[in-house]
Amino acid sequence: MDFLKFIRFSVKQIVFGSSTYYMWLAILLAFVLVGVSGYQQQLAHGHIVSNMRDPVPWGMFIGTYAFLVGVAAAAMALAVPGYVYHWKPIKEIVVLGEIIAICAVVMCILFVMADLGRPERFWHLLPVVGTPNLPTSMIGMNVMILNGYLVLNIVIVTYFLYCAFVGKPYNKFIFMSLMLFSIPAAISIHTTTAFIFNVLPSRPYWNSAILVPRFIASALCAGPALMVIAFQILRKTANINIREEALQKIAEMISIVLFVNLLLFFAEVITEFRSATAHTVHMQYYFRGIEGHVSLVSWAWTGALFNIIAFFLLLTPHLRQNTFLMNLGCVLVFVGVFIEKGIGLVLPGFTPGTLGEVYEYVPSLAEVMIGIGIAAVGILLFTVLSRVAIPLTFSEPYESGDDTRFENPRAVIREI
Amino acid sequence: MKKIDKNTTACASHSRRKFLKAAGAGAAALTGVPAAANAKIDFEALFQKHFRELSPEELDRLIERLEKKYSKRSGKEVKLGVTGPMDDVLFGYGLDVSRCIGCRRCVYACVEENNQSRSPEIHWIRVLEFERTDVLRRIDFEDGNPFYDHEKVPAEGKFYLPVACQQCENPECVKACPTQATWQEPDGIIVMDYDWCIGCRYCMAACPYGARHFNWTEPQIPAEEINPNMHILGNRPREHGVVEKCTWCIQRTRQGRYTACVEACPVGARKFGNLLDPDSEIRYLMENKRTFVLKAELDTRPKFFYFYGD
Amino acid sequence: MIGYSYKFWGKRRGSGSWRARGKTLAVAIVAVSLLGSSGGEPSDERIFPAPELGKFRNPRPYPSRPLPPDEEARLLDPPPIDDEYFPCDDCHEGEPADPRERELEEHDNIKISHGDLWCLDCHQDDQRDLLHLSDHSPVQMAESWRVCTRCHAKRIPDWRAGVHGKRVGNWIGAKEYFTCVVCHDPHAPLFKPLTPKPPPQPVKGLKLRTLIRLEEVPYEED
Repeated sequence: MDFLKFIRFSVKQIVFGSSTYYMWLAILLAFVLVGVSGYQQQLAHGHIVSNMRDPVPWGMFIGTYAFLVGVAAAAMALAVPGYVYHWKPIKEIVVLGEIIAICAVVMCILFVMADLGRPERFWHLLPVVGTPNLPTSMIGMNVMILNGYLVLNIVIVTYFLYCAFVGKPYNKFIFMSLMLFSIPAAISIHTTTAFIFNVLPSRPYWNSAILVPRFIASALCAGPALMVIAFQILRKTANINIREEALQKIAEMISIVLFVNLLLFFAEVITEFRSATAHTVHMQYYFRGIEGHVSLVSWAWTGALFNIIAFFLLLTPHLRQNTFLMNLGCVLVFVGVFIEKGIGLVLPGFTPGTLGEVYEYVPSLAEVMIGIGIAAVGILLFTVLSRVAIPLTFSEPYESGDDTRFENPRAVIREI
Repeated sequence: MKKIDKNTTACASHSRRKFLKAAGAGAAALTGVPAAANAKIDFEALFQKHFRELSPEELDRLIERLEKKYSKRSGKEVKLGVTGPMDDVLFGYGLDVSRCIGCRRCVYACVEENNQSRSPEIHWIRVLEFERTDVLRRIDFEDGNPFYDHEKVPAEGKFYLPVACQQCENPECVKACPTQATWQEPDGIIVMDYDWCIGCRYCMAACPYGARHFNWTEPQIPAEEINPNMHILGNRPREHGVVEKCTWCIQRTRQGRYTACVEACPVGARKFGNLLDPDSEIRYLMENKRTFVLKAELDTRPKFFYFYGD
Repeated sequence: MIGYSYKFWGKRRGSGSWRARGKTLAVAIVAVSLLGSSGGEPSDERIFPAPELGKFRNPRPYPSRPLPPDEEARLLDPPPIDDEYFPCDDCHEGEPADPRERELEEHDNIKISHGDLWCLDCHQDDQRDLLHLSDHSPVQMAESWRVCTRCHAKRIPDWRAGVHGKRVGNWIGAKEYFTCVVCHDPHAPLFKPLTPKPPPQPVKGLKLRTLIRLEEVPYEED
């Protein structure tokens, strides 16, 4: 029965709020409607309303999907310092990280559904009712693992918040094993996403083992960068205490992983351009353009430049301690990785196509509308979930030295 | 041509069927769809099983339903075959690079035979034109031009390379498909279950030969041009949102006939036959001519062999 | 390429993937049970094991069929010769042949562009309705390909095997063979250039609003 109370509390938290909250919801819902209208066009006419075509069969949807899987995987970046090394300032915010992961996975699933030509047949992918092609089809694997990760995170977050709600300590064994299990799960969702691309011998741009560590490294940059920004927004709007040292630690960690990411990227570029085989044509298209087709060149250099600037901003301690520069660094990482993964991964892989055709893809209006809608769904979900989570985890200002609070969260039942 | 082995045991998973029925009923209740006759047909299509899981009776019903649908659409009496593979047959294809003149007769013969969409245009065969004298550059697919438009072909100093599905023995598309909607038949043809494809286009990313094509919108074919000789795994009209591909005219070749492109080629550059028959044309050319396959380094092992006739 | 072919024949469907290995077991079980029921038939080396079937126990709802017998190829008749000129004996009956190469008064529509050949190198000099071989033994017009073999003997094995030239009909069963003169004009055998069919539409401009409504614009015939 406590659980029913917990549900009632959650619903109440979500439904009732200040006028600012309602306004925010209204704005998000408006954007969701934009997405719905884009999707309605796609349902009516098929994917011809997108700008994907036979030479470039995947576009913005799958690019953003690959990027968001990385964001989802980044919950791990908080779970490791929080629950492996038991570093308190981070331990406090792990649940928020898991919530971001849930939102990101939901957005991933929506992007895949938007990309399917026959979304009503999605059940063919599922075991028992459908005929999933496991384990050879990496999309099949990825669907299974991603959904598993979603369930895992929902369970972790619900269990943690429920324990906080009823005011009893969580079962340490169950919680810790779930939390620790979520770390390899996070790696595996991103590994299988990389496998979707790099197992294809037909696309030499992707067919490189280094793509897997690159995926994980870039994920551990973009996801935490998003978290640093989101936590600061929450600190302002929800008036909660997220410690500066936690943000600093995350930023420092980003800089280290960003270095690995840049190194792997550099290795890839040097290998491609120095060996200069026929397969270099894709990398050439991305950085130099081929025969006047240069639509991605400025993106490529912008992305690389953003990542390099962000690396120095976040690496140097006294720059990082300046809040503005830290935030700038995080924004640059986020955008830089989005360019690297969302644009620079999928499109150059398809251009030129397997028979040499160059088709320069730019997302269509309908695609952008659907993308905006899905982003709004993700932000909406994050808003309502943090409405539930914040009063339960940050019920009172944090007092230093209060070690037991997270092992024994106090009940915060407000009048229901 | 529809013969169904009554001895094969149906292995329909009952739990699954129950689940689907329950799900269907639930969805109907939720959306308030009246239990009208047409609604029932919709659900039948929506929850249709994978082709290879159909029992003989279910296949009978499916054929009947589809024949009715296609006949109504085309105004012709459509014959939807389910002819199976022959014993001891593994199809192979040969294309004489030294003969092809790039006239694109095969492309349009294929479009007409296989009910490909006229608008938006889908061509399963793509003819690439290369520069003969481009000796200082590597010759790669990037240098091929499919859009050549000369008064007469062959044009001076050019050669031509038609590319369609290579019917690989180690097919990347089959490995990639997340729902097993595409598979290799015993006679070597890679076929699609158009009713099972979810349209994720992973096979298009995986295919090294650009042989797979997506229906970006509802394909349009004038009713009078629909070829009524159809095969359920081959040239029956497709719907929007699914991938399609060359099946070596499965509706013809399973009845012993040549493919449409072989018969259309005015220079006789296209050869087709049984790789397991030592006396076949395809075996002769493999044993006596210099052959090559495209992108051999990927080890997709195509059964589409290019050769030099001279 | 030859090495490749051997590999191909030697190891049909022997993909070393680990997925295949798992399935081999299932196939083996099925095979053993089949053997048990049918009593075991003599194995033919050309019969390959059934392909791996994945999760499907009922792989396809149709049975396989025996291979029908192949039939002899029938030679396609050469294109008919213009009534105005054929039969030749209508004009040339009993006329002694003039073997010299010269400007002809008749037959000015024929431009010989076939090596150094002249009319009587192929046409029989005393019986104009016939052709002849090197030893001047007569050949019917319908069997003109036998005349071609005089010079182009090297083509014959390829043509008999169906690799040079064209066949229509059935890859197994009745088929028709194009003889030399169906494709090659004997007086000027080099292949004439053709007008190509229209190129594919470039993908770039393919938009919903650019699609043609086909009810209004019928698809263009040849």
